[in-house]
Amino acid sequence: MPAELAGYREWSGKTRSPWRASWSIVRTGVLMILRRWVFWLLIGLGLLNFLLNFALIYLKATLTIQNEAVGQFLDAYKVTGTGEAYADFMEGQATITALLLAFAGANLVGSDYRQGGMIYYLSRRIERRHYIVGKLMSVGAVVTMIATLPTIALFIEYGVLSSSLDYFFENGRILVGILGYGLVLAVVQSLLLFAIASWVHRAVPLVMCWLGVFVLLRLLADTARAISDDRRWLLLGIWENMDRVGSWCFGAGNPDKTPSVGLCLTVLVGLCIICLIVIVRRVRAIEVVT
Amino acid sequence: MSAPESPRTASPATAGAVAELRSVTKWYGPVIGVNDLDLTIGPGITGLLGPNGAGKTTLIKLLAGLLHPSLGKVTVSGRSAASSAAKEHIGYCPDVDAFYEEMSGRRFVRTMARLHGMSKSEAKERAEIALAEVGMTDRADRRLRGYSKGMRQRIKLAQALVHDPAMLIVDEPLNGVDPVGRRELMELFRGFRDRGKAVLVSSHILHEMDALAERVIFMGRGRILASGTLAEIREMLDEHPLHVRLRSSQARELAAQLIRWEDVKGIELRDEEEFSLEVRRPDAFFQRLGDFVVAESIDVSALETTDASAEAVFDYIMSSAARA
Repeated sequence: MPAELAGYREWSGKTRSPWRASWSIVRTGVLMILRRWVFWLLIGLGLLNFLLNFALIYLKATLTIQNEAVGQFLDAYKVTGTGEAYADFMEGQATITALLLAFAGANLVGSDYRQGGMIYYLSRRIERRHYIVGKLMSVGAVVTMIATLPTIALFIEYGVLSSSLDYFFENGRILVGILGYGLVLAVVQSLLLFAIASWVHRAVPLVMCWLGVFVLLRLLADTARAISDDRRWLLLGIWENMDRVGSWCFGAGNPDKTPSVGLCLTVLVGLCIICLIVIVRRVRAIEVVT
Repeated sequence: MSAPESPRTASPATAGAVAELRSVTKWYGPVIGVNDLDLTIGPGITGLLGPNGAGKTTLIKLLAGLLHPSLGKVTVSGRSAASSAAKEHIGYCPDVDAFYEEMSGRRFVRTMARLHGMSKSEAKERAEIALAEVGMTDRADRRLRGYSKGMRQRIKLAQALVHDPAMLIVDEPLNGVDPVGRRELMELFRGFRDRGKAVLVSSHILHEMDALAERVIFMGRGRILASGTLAEIREMLDEHPLHVRLRSSQARELAAQLIRWEDVKGIELRDEEEFSLEVRRPDAFFQRLGDFVVAESIDVSALETTDASAEAVFDYIMSSAARA
């Protein structure tokens, strides 16, 4: 159709900061996951876990008044409103998120390399750093959506259903813990996924690598520890490191346990730096590979 | 962390050069992609021709800001091609056929507009205009995975046009498009040119470049072998005189006259009414021939060049380059 018939007129609008354009990458990434029914199986699992906890908190708040035995029964499910309970819930949700990212990583990041789609991004008014931040945020958004936001919802529900709103004032540390644990999960998983998916683009190898990082390294850590009787080998377990640092955010966990939280945090920071270097190099390398 | 929002600068397309390469060299490790290129691209349609490995894609990516030159400088609208400011003026339509297949065409174009820094409402409006321009308005809600090759080409063009760039860079746009679609796309490029914009088209379909491009760039081995209008380039090929076919009821008499001209290298009579000539300096020859037939009242029923097409010129240049 000729431009005139299309009502063509030249655009003279304002362009916004490229950082705001990064949000488009986030939105595209999240929608890409939500559009596939196969990912909904895992999202549904997370939702189920959330609804179960939501219902248990509600039952505890309403039925304990009538029958204390019910409250003791529900305590077996750790519906205690303590930091430890939320940390456990977040760990469960994080497991589901890790599984989801294992399968979705090929779509979120790998496809940009495999099919050369990255040039659509980089030919726009954004630079490589905006692309990297956008992609990291899209993975982080998935983690937040499944692990952090449901935990905040449970925290609010517990406080609202408590006898007084003092619960919120007395347990401010829990909210810090939820946000802290969520941040650790989002940052580490997004950097790790991006770094791996930039090398391993296809779904099946990516799933194997992703799970290998968490499962095989843990097995290796246990074996090395058993052989040398040195608990510092446990630092190889990335999942456990995230859990220790996350629990520390809640003020939970044994501070005297070896390896210390500081060491766990150091390992995670080191891992994140390595991932970031890999990501930057791989995004630069797109010059050669396409 | 965020940079201040900036008003979009006026399109510089009408102000002469849109893109410039100055002494640009690009290495991929030990392999040279393009070698010491100097080039200016202004408004109008420019064809980029060359065999595989000639450096066409490297040149395009340098202009689109996807590659940084190893040496030299690439500027678009006076700014480094890799900068955000320069990308405002470039619409890049790659040959890569990769999309998020679950997205609809409309959503894809809107997303690309948002990536360009447009607000939601602006992106929506501009996407509709771009879709209308490529004739995809009615089909844009279908998922990309269900599109034919031609429809995908149109959607790729729409995403390149969505921000109203000063320069459109299209890599092999006519591949896989049916003849009707090709004609429409060529009309689209012409319409874009008519608005004072620049279009750089890389294509292997040489005979269509004849009809489309006002200026061509021949590339080989990472260098620009020739650039200019086809006629200009053709005239520079001294060792390949232009072949002209001429039909006249007075063919023998006319041939006898023309063989004496210094620009005519040779004549071959085909039959009583037709002969072919080998001509040097075609512009001067055609000027003189025109004056001559008018002055002598000679009846000329047909006059055509047989090897001035992009394909013939391309073959000559490539054979020269291979010997060099």
